Amino acid sequence: MSSAVRGAAVQLVKTIEKLPAERMKHMVSLKESQLERFKPVAGLEAGAHGSKQKPTLQEIKDIISRTSGPLGLQKEALKKVQEAFPQEQYTAEAIQEQTKSLNNILSNKYRDYYAVGDKLLKPQGNPAYYQRLMDEIEGKKKETFWTAMRTVVLGK
Amino acid sequence: MFRTLFVANKASSCSASTPLKAFRCLARAGYSVKANREEAKELESPEELAQKSKLKAKPIDYSNNAPVNPKKKRPFLSGSKYESRVYQLPKWKEALGEIVIRSFNLDMDKVRAGPVAGSYYYALCKEQGLQFENEPLSTTARFFYEDLKLPRTFSQWFQITILHEWILFVRMRAMPFKYGRNYQQKLVDRTFSDIELRLFDEMNVNSGRIADQYLKDFNSQLRGAVFAYDEGLFTDDSTLAAAIWRNLFGGRKNVDMVHLEATVRYVRAQIYVLSKMSDREFAMGKFKFVSPDETVYRLTAQQEAEMKENVKRKYEEMDRNPDLLPSERSKLSYDN
Repeated sequence: MSSAVRGAAVQLVKTIEKLPAERMKHMVSLKESQLERFKPVAGLEAGAHGSKQKPTLQEIKDIISRTSGPLGLQKEALKKVQEAFPQEQYTAEAIQEQTKSLNNILSNKYRDYYAVGDKLLKPQGNPAYYQRLMDEIEGKKKETFWTAMRTVVLGK
Repeated sequence: MFRTLFVANKASSCSASTPLKAFRCLARAGYSVKANREEAKELESPEELAQKSKLKAKPIDYSNNAPVNPKKKRPFLSGSKYESRVYQLPKWKEALGEIVIRSFNLDMDKVRAGPVAGSYYYALCKEQGLQFENEPLSTTARFFYEDLKLPRTFSQWFQITILHEWILFVRMRAMPFKYGRNYQQKLVDRTFSDIELRLFDEMNVNSGRIADQYLKDFNSQLRGAVFAYDEGLFTDDSTLAAAIWRNLFGGRKNVDMVHLEATVRYVRAQIYVLSKMSDREFAMGKFKFVSPDETVYRLTAQQEAEMKENVKRKYEEMDRNPDLLPSERSKLSYDN
């Protein structure tokens, strides 16, 4: 592999590392999978970033209770997709493009350009919708049995 | 009786749409005005963006390409003549419907959820990713299957459909709760009843048990996707991109970031257009998804004011008109 490709891949790996950690543990993680994919190209040691860390029992339970068939795929199929390591031919140009796109995503270019404002983010019909969702994800304010019942009865 | 009512409303909303064309042009002007191009020269349409990628990644399981190849094709929405675009309701049925609406003082905003969200908006979402073997793809479908290189399968079609449905959900939440909720419900109900029929007729599923399993699976996909997209919408682009990657791209490892960027752009642009629509227009079914080969430019403050002014004028005039049919009445706001 040429040094140009490696140099570009090092940049890309650095950019991927800037991706924020997911707030919830999912079956697959964009950050981990892409690090695993590009670290060998960059000549770095793959798996150093905790991608090989085993999920804790709590996390497994959490995932199982959330979904019966993760991503709607059969478990074997999901495994196959994850394990398949396609032999890809990278060019320096293609990798630089990846970095540029990822930077656009990271800088929230589109969220800021297409700002929707409070009309959609604090929707009239259910102003606390997103805030409640985020509080729940971040563990700031957990739903209790009564708030849950209220949602069931009133719908919001 | 109820059926007549539903139909009366449908027919009248169709006839009402002709004079509204002018407005739609205006709304569309929002993303084709040349003046705004200056400020965003580097913006290209999502399709152009996706096409310029030089990474020649292929979906891993390319052999798993299984275009829908039905023995018997279902009609696009339903076989009912009332849902066909050419059917004209007899005048006496229309009149009867209007009388019923007037005498029972029916809430048309509530009744309209069926024909608008359950029929029109579902049709919009459904056609975005629809694909059959040996049939040419629509522009949007070409963007998803050819430019983004997604596998041509039934479950991929479902993912594309729920992405679009979620985009509509975002706008429906901003309607008054009672109505927005009803619109969401109608859209979801229609989705699952249609999928069930498609599984039997087009995917050759013969067993009810297996169909039920698929439906449950699709249901959990829908919940997961709506949750993940909501989180992404509210937080930042990287969360939204990760949600799109997990759901639309099936979490595959060799994803192309340029494609991911193009999809984020596509989604944000649609939501931007929706955010500029008033409740009334949206509830009347005046929305169409922007095709991926078009670029959405931001409206300037002046253009926005002008657009709102026109909308206001049109609906004020409509509300003042004493001859307005009962089925065309609406209490939803037109100036938000």
